[in-house]
Amino acid sequence: MASDEKKAEILKGLHDSVVEYEEEKTVEVANEAVAEGLDAFEAIMGGLAKGMETVGDLYVRQEYFVPELLLCADALYAGLEVLKPHLKAESHAEPRKIILGVVEGDIHDIGKNLVKVMFDAAGWQVFDLGADVKIERFAEEQKKCGAQVVGLSALMTTSMLAIPRIIKTLRDSDSTVRVLVGGAPLNPDIAASYGADGYADNAGEAVEQAMKMLQQA
Amino acid sequence: MSNSDRAEALLRGDKVDRVPLYHFLLGFCARNVGYTTVDMYNNAEKSFQAQLWTFEQYGIDGGPDYGYASYGGWEFGGEIKMPEGEWQQAPSHVNFPVNTEEDLAALAMPDVKTAGSLPLAMEFSKLQQKHGKPITVTLGGNFSVAGNICPPSTLCRWMLKKPDAAHRILQIASDHILDVVRYWSDTFGAENVIPNLWEPMAANDIISPKQFEKFALPYIKETNEKMLGMGIKHILYHICGEQNANMPLWAQIPMGDPGMVTFGHQVKLSTAIEYFGDSCIILGNVLPALIQTGTPQQVYDASRDCILEAKDAPRGFMLMPGCELPPMSPFFNVYMMKKAIEDFGYYG
Ligand code: B12
Repeated sequence: MASDEKKAEILKGLHDSVVEYEEEKTVEVANEAVAEGLDAFEAIMGGLAKGMETVGDLYVRQEYFVPELLLCADALYAGLEVLKPHLKAESHAEPRKIILGVVEGDIHDIGKNLVKVMFDAAGWQVFDLGADVKIERFAEEQKKCGAQVVGLSALMTTSMLAIPRIIKTLRDSDSTVRVLVGGAPLNPDIAASYGADGYADNAGEAVEQAMKMLQQA
Repeated sequence: MSNSDRAEALLRGDKVDRVPLYHFLLGFCARNVGYTTVDMYNNAEKSFQAQLWTFEQYGIDGGPDYGYASYGGWEFGGEIKMPEGEWQQAPSHVNFPVNTEEDLAALAMPDVKTAGSLPLAMEFSKLQQKHGKPITVTLGGNFSVAGNICPPSTLCRWMLKKPDAAHRILQIASDHILDVVRYWSDTFGAENVIPNLWEPMAANDIISPKQFEKFALPYIKETNEKMLGMGIKHILYHICGEQNANMPLWAQIPMGDPGMVTFGHQVKLSTAIEYFGDSCIILGNVLPALIQTGTPQQVYDASRDCILEAKDAPRGFMLMPGCELPPMSPFFNVYMMKKAIEDFGYYG
């Protein structure tokens, strides 16, 4: 078992190597965490995910932009790959599930991809349907995987008109599903008028919103 | 003054009676005249005609133009999907010609006479010529063309981890832009061609001003200098999205005499005038979403505010939405832009 000091050092190492988008170093420290017998769940949440939280803040403060975020995400995923096989059964009993997709007619997927990273970092199981996703597919996939939350992204005023239709097909198929929406042309008012359960302005807030929605459910 | 006179007068440096109205609006034209959106992108004749009719109806002074923001992928061997269905607004890529450094090393320069959308764009320009309209060719800016040849996320990663690959793909994009503009110049005479370049991918929504300075600025600047060296007189740049932090860098780029620069709602027209007023006609920037979802009064007010803010720009101003006019915009809202010009756009 690692000493508290060693543990703190490893968690900081995971955090920092994600923030500094050092993919190889992240893998190195993750391996060290395993070798030192650190709890994998703790290493993920207290190290990798925390790092991604810092990255989210740097992005909101415009110190990081999309290129940095993508590389931080690469480091995060590399670390997760090392640590996930070591998760104990009880620590990831039933992960929360979210479906993500950019709506039909819209190929703007950069924002959605960042949202996906934040959910991955927070330990959710993400079903990413990609971009230009046909209306009916969201409900079909939700039925298959039983995701509690569906996240819809639209970057154009044209494509955002598909959102209320998607929400209707989702509700018709499962009245308990929660819908989170985002993307530049949307705002809380439009989101509410479309019948969405929540809206988030950026990738960092998305996870927070989703958690809130589940608590209200 | 007749409609096409007005934009041309501004380009000559002459006075105009009122603020001209300009639009990118292919999808809206389809809806307006009862064509499909795909007609606008794969049938030059219909696209041209639908625009002419729509321009007449709404008193639009610039155009018609042909083009779309995902330009570049198809021309280099990727696949593009034409817009279909209820929500599609423009062509979109299905896959990219370059995904790896190996793809990049093997990438061949396209033949501009046959590649992708270019034969159709040429057919369209011949219609512009036949009808005595300004001859335009619409391409991405250097960074956006690069980000359409490979996925934008790949370009982003390469900038930080493999800068040589990023520079290489930007150089290829730059060479291609020049090849196309040279072809148009050889066909119509450089002095008659106005390249329209759209640069959404270099927005600060995606990259930092430092990254812009390193990976976009040198290429855009050199390409513009070379186009002007060929005898091109005016370049239209659509500086799309959030670009405030890039403005001092954009200001170093020559656009012709005058150039034409168009902005999204993110960049204030007064800021645009500060950086470009002495060298360029300023175009912009009514919020596209407002034209689709706002009331007629809101569109009228927003148009009025733009006109009053920028009407007296030294080289002139044209009223325009901040990007493509959303195809689903209510017809009356579109008319309101013209009405605002009638009420506030005349020069005394
Ligand atoms: C880059 C870009 C492109 C790239 C897209 C590349 C790609 N693979 O994504 C290219 C060049 C291909 C492109 C094409 C077009 N574009 Co474009 N594009 C942009 C631009 C400049 C930036 C978008 C972006 O990536 N932002 C960066 C990301 C990180 O931010 P984001 O997407 O907003 O996401 C954040 C939040 O919104 C939120 N979020 C996003 N999704 C979700 C989902 C959930 C569930 C939650 C909770 C949160 C959330 O979190 C994200 C991270 O913080 C915008 C400008 C703008 N204002 O957004 C125009 C913009 C979206 N484009 C526009 C247009 C018109 C087009 C075209 C139609 C142009 C044309 N005629 O060809 C085509 C459309 C093609 C198609 N079929 O979809 C217009 C849309 C206008 C409208 N009608 O509303 C915009 C708004 C430009 C403008 N007016 O300023 N474009």
